Amino acid sequence: MEPLSSFFGVSVILLGIGIYGLTTKRNAIRILFSVELIYNAANLNIIAFARLRNPPIVTGQVLVLFTIALAAMEAAVGLSIIILVSRLNADIDLSKLSKLKG
Amino acid sequence: MTDLLFLAFAAVTIGAAILAIEARDLVYGAAALGIAFLGVAGLFFLLDAAYVGWFQIAVYIGAVVVLILFTVMLVGPKKGESPLGLKRVSLLAAMLVSLLLGMTGALANATAFPGPDSCGSGCDLSLFSTSLLKNYGVPLEFMSLVMAAAVIGALALSKTDRGQ
Repeated sequence: MEPLSSFFGVSVILLGIGIYGLTTKRNAIRILFSVELIYNAANLNIIAFARLRNPPIVTGQVLVLFTIALAAMEAAVGLSIIILVSRLNADIDLSKLSKLKG
Repeated sequence: MTDLLFLAFAAVTIGAAILAIEARDLVYGAAALGIAFLGVAGLFFLLDAAYVGWFQIAVYIGAVVVLILFTVMLVGPKKGESPLGLKRVSLLAAMLVSLLLGMTGALANATAFPGPDSCGSGCDLSLFSTSLLKNYGVPLEFMSLVMAAAVIGALALSKTDRGQ
């Protein structure tokens, strides 16, 4: 069994890639990719901590089941918002969307 | 054997994640995102969480990636691609966050989490399902409520007023 730090390292790298995409990209779909990557990093973390605990517990898997379902819902709502925005604006560059700005 | 599998899955996951963010074409990006999800599912299998791994494959690759591809086709893959000058700062920020969290991970090293070789009752599928339905039955029902709300919200958002 690998130590926790190796799985944790993969998770941290995924989180770093997600944050990088979240801050540099302006395409709404690309930002959704980044959010999904961050979700996956969190899920991997939860599973690794639950499995490599002594003794392992099953609660982590239950929690990740909930997170995956939530992520799928978030993707569905987000993509429908993107489709709506693209219909209204002919562009999904988030830096050009200023209708909701105060 | 497990080490090799771990290295392969980790490399595939990280490479595909970078490709998903950096690929010029959004369709390729979505495909790379699917491969990254597959790599994470492989890591779940290595962590003895086979059910969650299959769930990940079914939901992420079967639903989310297909939905994203559908949206990319609908919106048009060429839209919204504009370079910007913020790149260096945010790269620095991502590296800093990774370093910080990596240090935390190094501190929480193998001494605190030894990780027994056999998972035992921690990965038992029947225990998992009884825990899901007995201890977390109410959150499960709330989850289905949220799911219904999300579906209705998505439908309401994408409804056109063409009829009126």
